[in-house]
Amino acid sequence: MGCDIVTVSTDTKHTHLAWREHEKELHRVAYPMGSDGTGTVSRMFGVYEDETGLAFRGAFIINPEGKLLSIEVNFDNVGRNIDELMRKFKANMYLSRKTHEACPSKWKDDGDKTLTPGAKLVGKVHEALNG
Amino acid sequence: MCECECECSGPLKLGQQVPDFSLETYEPTKGDFGTFSLADQIAQKRWTILFFYPADFTFV
Repeated sequence: MGCDIVTVSTDTKHTHLAWREHEKELHRVAYPMGSDGTGTVSRMFGVYEDETGLAFRGAFIINPEGKLLSIEVNFDNVGRNIDELMRKFKANMYLSRKTHEACPSKWKDDGDKTLTPGAKLVGKVHEALNG
Repeated sequence: MCECECECSGPLKLGQQVPDFSLETYEPTKGDFGTFSLADQIAQKRWTILFFYPADFTFV
């Protein structure tokens, strides 16, 4: 899909290696695991927690031109849903080609119903989605 | 928060251009260390998803 996932924590690259090779839940992980020991990148994205020196659970989608298109940040004990992240990624990728359309909440993939914002759609979203 | 005297304006906002950054990485497919750079992603015209989490060997 022309997309790279990179995980980031403030752990060292050595700890990443140990975790990836030790934890069986990670055995299918094939993406780079980034080490942000100084917290520089975490601070840039607003997820660095000063009290702990750790990063909050943030997910950010950046387009091929380097523009930040999506931000999701949660506290520690709420996991992110990967299906939702992929849905948002696919929607952003679709909309980069179809710049006059919008992907409604039930949109999941190319081929699902989209909306075309404009004066004609005002007050007519129900008809547009269910027609 | 930024404590330097530069003109940084706080964390990135939606729609902003992300400044170039790089990270040392562990690359499981190579079994070796590497480097991720946003500049490389842009040069190769690739999307990037950054996925931050608190710590290795934790649970969620």
